[in-house]
Amino acid sequence: MVVTTIGLTRRFGSLTAVDDLTLDLPTGGVVGLVGPNGSGKSTLIRMLLGLIKPTSGEAEILGRSIATPQAYAASVGALVEGPAFVPSLSARANLISLARLRGLPASRVDEVVSIVGLAGRDREPVKRFSLGMKQRLGIAAALLPDPELLLLDEPTNGLDPAGILEIRHLLQSLARSGRTVVVSSHLLSEIESICTFLVIIRFGVLMLMYAGPMADLLALAPTPVHVRPEFDSDHGRLRQALTDAGWSVVTPDAGTEATVTLTIAAPGEQAAQINRDSLAAGVTLAELTVSRDSLESIFLEMTGNDDGELAGARAASASAAATAAAVRS
Amino acid sequence: MIGVVRSELGRLSRRSVIIGWFGLTAALAMIINVVMFQVIKSSSVPPANGPGVSFPSEARLLSEHGIVAGLGSASSILGVVALSFWAIATSTDYSTGLIRVLASAQPVRWRLILGKWLALGVFTAAATTVALVANLVAAPLAAQSAGYSPSAWGNDLIPLLLGAWINLFGALLIWGTIGLALATLTRSSGVAIGVGVGYVLLGESLITSVASSTRDWLPGTTMSAIASGGTAAVSYGAALSLGVTYLVLTLAAATIVVVRRDITD
Repeated sequence: MVVTTIGLTRRFGSLTAVDDLTLDLPTGGVVGLVGPNGSGKSTLIRMLLGLIKPTSGEAEILGRSIATPQAYAASVGALVEGPAFVPSLSARANLISLARLRGLPASRVDEVVSIVGLAGRDREPVKRFSLGMKQRLGIAAALLPDPELLLLDEPTNGLDPAGILEIRHLLQSLARSGRTVVVSSHLLSEIESICTFLVIIRFGVLMLMYAGPMADLLALAPTPVHVRPEFDSDHGRLRQALTDAGWSVVTPDAGTEATVTLTIAAPGEQAAQINRDSLAAGVTLAELTVSRDSLESIFLEMTGNDDGELAGARAASASAAATAAAVRS
Repeated sequence: MIGVVRSELGRLSRRSVIIGWFGLTAALAMIINVVMFQVIKSSSVPPANGPGVSFPSEARLLSEHGIVAGLGSASSILGVVALSFWAIATSTDYSTGLIRVLASAQPVRWRLILGKWLALGVFTAAATTVALVANLVAAPLAAQSAGYSPSAWGNDLIPLLLGAWINLFGALLIWGTIGLALATLTRSSGVAIGVGVGYVLLGESLITSVASSTRDWLPGTTMSAIASGGTAAVSYGAALSLGVTYLVLTLAAATIVVVRRDITD
């Protein structure tokens, strides 16, 4: 395991940021640490880096206790709460300064600048950099020690879609090179697209909701099959045939007002059999799709839809859509 | 430790620090010489010491020590400049969030603070040299423009310059360490500089006017005495002992805070 925590707790006065967290993160791949802002992700990362001390509990990084962070500092790179540099110095001067701090040669700066795609821009002052370039520079700084473990706190914060895509590819390539990349994010879609292992954190206090491979979590999601007959007039016949074949058609029967697409509560791998049963009844399908719930809906289901931030974001989105509809009408 | 010092030196070697600190130091070292000679020219009795400045007598100014008298006179003002740049260099780590990066790369935090102290010490040595050179350029010109031609200047020049450099460096190092400690405690260069400047320009004068017995050991008097190689009120040895005490106490306070403090933002 690359990270192990046992009963890790951190309190700030009366506020409990991380509560009795017991967790194992596997070596290799991209590990997602997902939870809303204020859920304790950054506090956890700070404790793992030795920036703050836990109130109680223990943790190990690469088999070494977080009580002695100097034992693993040379094997861990981190980006915590956004990139931090001296703005008036060039990117290169900033990186050289950090390389010297770690006792690394200046040639390592060339390597990391190249990895993050900043070659040719590294002699510009950091104050002229866009947010995306600063994020990449922050990752370059984290890569300086050629770490076994990368801890990246919200690495795509503030980036535009193109920048997010770039960082996503970069993190995946870093994981392919044998490193373990731990990424915290409040963006579920971010995590879903790049992570192989996932840790879900409940809102309000860092409390484990799920820790395991991403594929296992997604497999928990229902995978209804949607079918649409070639001719609308076949709708009733198709519904009857599938029901007779033992399938559970969940689309309500609207009587004469036939719904064109029928949804069948069945595992996705049964789609071929549904197709065969439709054909046997003499109905040709124009569409047959297997849908899978997104990570976000699984997350909301697991947390009982009580996640303040996500619920808020959804409400805001629904409200915006309603307003737009009202304006159109 | 060498890595920490080299890292700090790299971050300090920026134009704003070099031009700002060294330029201000050179300008003040020149100005004080002009002011000293104009003051002496108008009255052979030295005026009362101004805020952060002490004036030598005409006899001392025209003696062999006169060529470096400006450094002793301006040491408090030069000290405030040093305090300010030490405070800025320290608080920048907090304001930019760089402290997170530094502390995660070098978790043995006393090395971070000691490395910063050594690197800033190197810059203070350079600033002291700049002040000395500027003083050497300005003093003869200021004397000449005021109608003086001190014949004693130039006797035993090398040991005199060396002594002046060591004394000023010692004073500035202590002022700088106070700035480092203030910025570490407050995480703000503004507060640290405000406290430092306010103390030199106002605080110490007020304290000594209320309790004159404190005059012999307060920081401003102590550092002026070190920079001048001792004064009538405070001997060089006593000033040096007090100065080292100030340095050790402030550096220890800063180190304890950095080592024990959570880095939460």
